[in-house]
Amino acid sequence: MPRNETSGFGPHDVTMPQLGMAQDAGRLTQWLKAPGDPVTKGDALFEVETDKATMEVEAQAGGYLTHVTAAEGEDVPVGQVIARISDSADDDAPAPAPAPQSAPDEALPEGTQITMPQLGMAQDSGVLVGWLVELGAQVGPDDLLFEVETDKATMEVPAGASGYLAATLAQAGDAVPVGQVVAVIASNKPDAPVARGMAAAAPATKAAPKADVAPDPKPAAPAKPAQAAPAPAGGRILASPKLRRVALEKGLDLAQLVQAGHPQPFHMRDLDVLESLAATAPAPQASAAMSTIRLEAGCPEDGFTAFAQWAADVHGLHDADALLAGLAGASLDRAATVAVERFGASRVYDVPAARSLSAVTEAENPPDLRVRDLRMSALSGISIGAEDRPVLTILARGAGLALVLECTPAQLAPDQAIALLSEFAGRMHDPLRHLL
Amino acid sequence: MREITLSQAVNEAIAEEMRRDASVFLMGEDVAEAGTPFKVLSGLVEEFGTDRVIDTPISEPGFVGLAVGAAMTGARPIVDLMFGDFIYLVMDQLCNQAAKQHYMSGGKLTVPMVLRTNMGATRRSAAQHSQSLQALVAHIPGLKVAMPSSAYEAKGLMKTAIRDNNPVVIFEDKLMYQDKAPVPEEEYLIPFGVANVKREGRDITLIGTSSMVQVALSAAEILALEGISAEVIDPRTIVPLDEATLIESVRKTSRAIVIDEGHQSYGVTAEIASRLNEKAFYHLDAPVLRMGAMDVPVPFSPALEDLTVPTPEQVAANARKLCGGELIHAA
Repeated sequence: MPRNETSGFGPHDVTMPQLGMAQDAGRLTQWLKAPGDPVTKGDALFEVETDKATMEVEAQAGGYLTHVTAAEGEDVPVGQVIARISDSADDDAPAPAPAPQSAPDEALPEGTQITMPQLGMAQDSGVLVGWLVELGAQVGPDDLLFEVETDKATMEVPAGASGYLAATLAQAGDAVPVGQVVAVIASNKPDAPVARGMAAAAPATKAAPKADVAPDPKPAAPAKPAQAAPAPAGGRILASPKLRRVALEKGLDLAQLVQAGHPQPFHMRDLDVLESLAATAPAPQASAAMSTIRLEAGCPEDGFTAFAQWAADVHGLHDADALLAGLAGASLDRAATVAVERFGASRVYDVPAARSLSAVTEAENPPDLRVRDLRMSALSGISIGAEDRPVLTILARGAGLALVLECTPAQLAPDQAIALLSEFAGRMHDPLRHLL
Repeated sequence: MREITLSQAVNEAIAEEMRRDASVFLMGEDVAEAGTPFKVLSGLVEEFGTDRVIDTPISEPGFVGLAVGAAMTGARPIVDLMFGDFIYLVMDQLCNQAAKQHYMSGGKLTVPMVLRTNMGATRRSAAQHSQSLQALVAHIPGLKVAMPSSAYEAKGLMKTAIRDNNPVVIFEDKLMYQDKAPVPEEEYLIPFGVANVKREGRDITLIGTSSMVQVALSAAEILALEGISAEVIDPRTIVPLDEATLIESVRKTSRAIVIDEGHQSYGVTAEIASRLNEKAFYHLDAPVLRMGAMDVPVPFSPALEDLTVPTPEQVAANARKLCGGELIHAA
């Protein structure tokens, strides 16, 4: 196939350029090439007249002029596709689609391109922690391919396709924009797998959707990350109407959440964080962060869901939160008040020293311990730092659970913290042992 | 309490009101000996005779027009429209005549007529016998619209409709006719414009109409196992709408999904969601979601038809998103 000198490959859409600041359309006065003509990048392609000027527009790619949709004398809105530069004169592919085309990087093996996923609401890039599959090795769609760290969470990302890991385009420690290609999974075992870091992988940024701009003699704008959540910086803060109202009533400033890097959009569940930020705002936070105890435990199975069902069916204990509070409180090995938090709502329970779950009652006094149930969230890890009470966070991990305890040494001595989390993990794995 | 089917409940309501008031009569295609294709009205012609249970020709505009005239001159007709889809045929009689007489005559004329018809897909009846067209009627001032969600509501709402002095359209879900529910032996009426909190909850409000109440209740069961407490509300009549109960619930839960089997666009769900937005905005912690039937003609293919109607799993999935603080419809 003949290929003229060109900046990219494959069909290239020709659009009406913006030539003046306030221009929204241009009159196509004359085509300087006819359909089917060969075109070299830089050739004058057509002539445009605006309010003030008449100008020749150069081809931004080489090939053959096809799919001419605008006639001479026609007024064409800026940005509209008026023709295509194709690889052959008789390109009969469908008319130019508005969908962005990823320009393939020739040096990359063929296969399924794996991109940096968006894991958080306001996340626009993720730091690659490491590859979990060796380059060139075989992978299945459910195999964990790499680990990503965002502001708050670390998460393992499955391959999503089966084949061989033929290319890795980022190294551990690289911050990769959401939507950018980080790996290629090929159907055949690659002869020469490609491994690059972000610095070397510059051509791969083309895979990010290109902005829909007219041919522009200026240097191309940097590629935008795909579908990033609206950037909070400088813009409007994304917060629910209810949280805005409550913050106003309490005299709290949502900007504090933004400054703290808390992920948007903000909901009522973020009120606690906002309140603690407001409370600690004048004081430096370093000392608090230094003295945080963070312990993590895994539960291979989630025994709690089935237990809650059983307790409801057999014993008429319908409040699963009370059961959760009971298991957590008993893990402290003394009478305790436990708050169970989910989706911004918090319910507080008195848990007696005796282990009877039916004696757990709803209360209003300040809790000794918070249980934050994030099983329904996408988070796979959490590290928030100590709060005003010890916090036990429950996360889903596969068929089981991950449990995180965060507190200060003043709240719980290290041995107490270890005992609490060990006991709680055992109870969540097999709640019936609670009765023993 | 005894349990009877929705079909028996409607039959009982009509029989009781016909015994109570001699001006009540029944008219429609196959209502007499056949007792309708769904056998809802079986036995009525035996008790009340063919003067009060009247089989009509296949001419919906004709017999609905006749019912409007009878109602204007003192009778209380219950007119049976075999499929809700046929409502297109009677739009002039219903919307231009029945709905407007009270207003245009300055109250000198009223139209105490009940149009009972049905709705609901997944009966493999194809695009022209499966629609849920309550939004069309609810849009017209002067018409009341009741949507029973079980046998209990079907009986209580029907009796209230028959005693109402203005036109009422009742949509029964044709897939629920054999569903049983507890219905008291003793007489009761369900007032219009009073919603029923079917299940209390604290995290999210699921507002469902007709069979979507059952869908919402099933979704609430799923969500309960995950620790999400869903409140389920049945408005029972969409005109008049018990806004106060809906708003009170949303003020408590901060989140809502509205579910109705009509097509999602420009539908009942949109109206209710919009009112919550207007009147409970500062209590919302997430956007109010609509869930209606897919915006396509109801497919005849069973596999495709089932995809067009909201399911408990879909409702639960949406509820999880709202409760989990996901960014919905990011700009």
